Amino acid sequence: MTTTSSKVFIVDDDDAVRNSLRMLFKTVDIDAATFESGDAFLHEHDADWQGCIVLDIRMPGTSGLEVQKILVERGNTLPIIFITGHGDVPMAVEAMQLGAFDFVQKPFRDQELVDRVSQAMTQNLEAQETVSHKREVLDCYQELTPREREVMHCVVKGQANKVIAMDLDVSQRTVEIHRARVMEKMKARSLADLVRKAMLLDDDDK
Amino acid sequence: MIIIDNLGIIEQINKATVGMFGYEPAELIGLNISTLMPRREQARHDNYLDRYQRTGERRIIGAGREVRAQRKDGSHFPAQIAVGEVSAAGQTRYIGLIRDLTDQRDLEEQALQRREEMVNVSRLSIMGEMAAAMAHELNQPLTAIANYAAASMRLLDKGPEHTGDVKEALQEIYDQAHRAGEVIRRTRNFTKSAEAARGETTLAEVARPIRSLAELDTKANNIRLAWEIPTDLPPIDVDSIQIQQVILNLIRNAVDAMRDTDPEHRNIIVRAKMTAPHQIRLEVCDHGHGVNAGKSSDIFNAFFTTKKTGMGMGLAICKTIVRAHGGELGFRSNDQKLGDCGSTFFFTIPTWVNT
Repeated sequence: MTTTSSKVFIVDDDDAVRNSLRMLFKTVDIDAATFESGDAFLHEHDADWQGCIVLDIRMPGTSGLEVQKILVERGNTLPIIFITGHGDVPMAVEAMQLGAFDFVQKPFRDQELVDRVSQAMTQNLEAQETVSHKREVLDCYQELTPREREVMHCVVKGQANKVIAMDLDVSQRTVEIHRARVMEKMKARSLADLVRKAMLLDDDDK
Repeated sequence: MIIIDNLGIIEQINKATVGMFGYEPAELIGLNISTLMPRREQARHDNYLDRYQRTGERRIIGAGREVRAQRKDGSHFPAQIAVGEVSAAGQTRYIGLIRDLTDQRDLEEQALQRREEMVNVSRLSIMGEMAAAMAHELNQPLTAIANYAAASMRLLDKGPEHTGDVKEALQEIYDQAHRAGEVIRRTRNFTKSAEAARGETTLAEVARPIRSLAELDTKANNIRLAWEIPTDLPPIDVDSIQIQQVILNLIRNAVDAMRDTDPEHRNIIVRAKMTAPHQIRLEVCDHGHGVNAGKSSDIFNAFFTTKKTGMGMGLAICKTIVRAHGGELGFRSNDQKLGDCGSTFFFTIPTWVNT
């Protein structure tokens, strides 16, 4: 489920909790990196990291919630699973509102945490794939000439070549040539594939 | 209203006043005013009247005064009297206005009772907080134990080559179990102090459990907490829970006061020392926003607060508790000339005297 570069990043100030989590993840073959404070984590944090974060909500120094807020500002995409203690539910609710993946209450069932971490890592992987796929499509799209883009938008709206030719005031033969170029440059295997790719583009990209 | 002559004989009395004392109007005319007073006040009154006529020295006349009054059935009630003097046709008379203070007293007593109830509620709440703090502290080793145990079971399933790792995990479980035991030992000391409502102890002993509780707050807010309570101070006779409530309250206020303080300067010092031969003083010193000069007389009042979420009961309860122990609660602003912002709140406690 996880790629070699995918890891669980454990942030907890308690040595015993941190080390026991590392050992637990090792037994289920999930790579772990540990950090003894929010600041240590933020210092090393890299936008290219993949996997998920297991974050203690209550820590001296930068608290778990503050780490989450800073990560949100940095445009972090790693899902965050909070570890909460007794009476931390209001904080956990705030964390969920800020987009946390989930929270588990101490002491938790190992399987519960392992399952949630696996799900978070899968979600992160899929999100990364979507992002990289979208980036590819966008790269292709940027290769199109303005005329080709016009033709593409008409095609994905389902207009026939004849109609497009009339709208753009060009010959039907010219439309056919543009259309073939669009399919080639967008690496579209079929009209359906082109429509799918066009849907990935945001309005800003067009 | 009641009119008496210079010997204290009642000449006139109105209906309301007669009703207050439970007599019929005719019964009182011609009697000495002292009929309406408990015995203790009677002698005093004769003295006053006599002295005033000889020396002109005023005790009650011209001024209001609170006295005990006696009804026909012998029961007493608190009353306020105001006395004026009238001289006509060579004779001096005194006019008295009497107000029954029973209702007002009831209100005051109720307020006092409320305050005591609040102290009791806060006593319960500190027990609850202690339990919460203990739960938090126990959760750490328990979580680690659960993780190590889960890892061990998984490792054993994988095969004998992981025996070394399992052994390591078991050692950790052993250590963490002892860590949990240590938390419970500390808490046991606390609950012991809760059972004995009041008794001989030391301030260091009373304050000790508060330290770990306070550290939960200070750590979470990036505050350094210095604890300077000497263990060799003389013993005190206090309700430990109540005094703990006061100390924790002062620390919580200090934490709240430093929300906007630069993290580098977030310090709280809790220290205690002798300030008089039979007096110990505990201070909580912060580097927070301080007390607004115009508000300094209000802060100990009930329902006064500058916090967004707060009942304004904290310092009022603290004051009640400290007073009940024969001490005083106060504060001063730190010396700004020394670059020292913030406030120092303190309370005094008399040392225990063996009788």
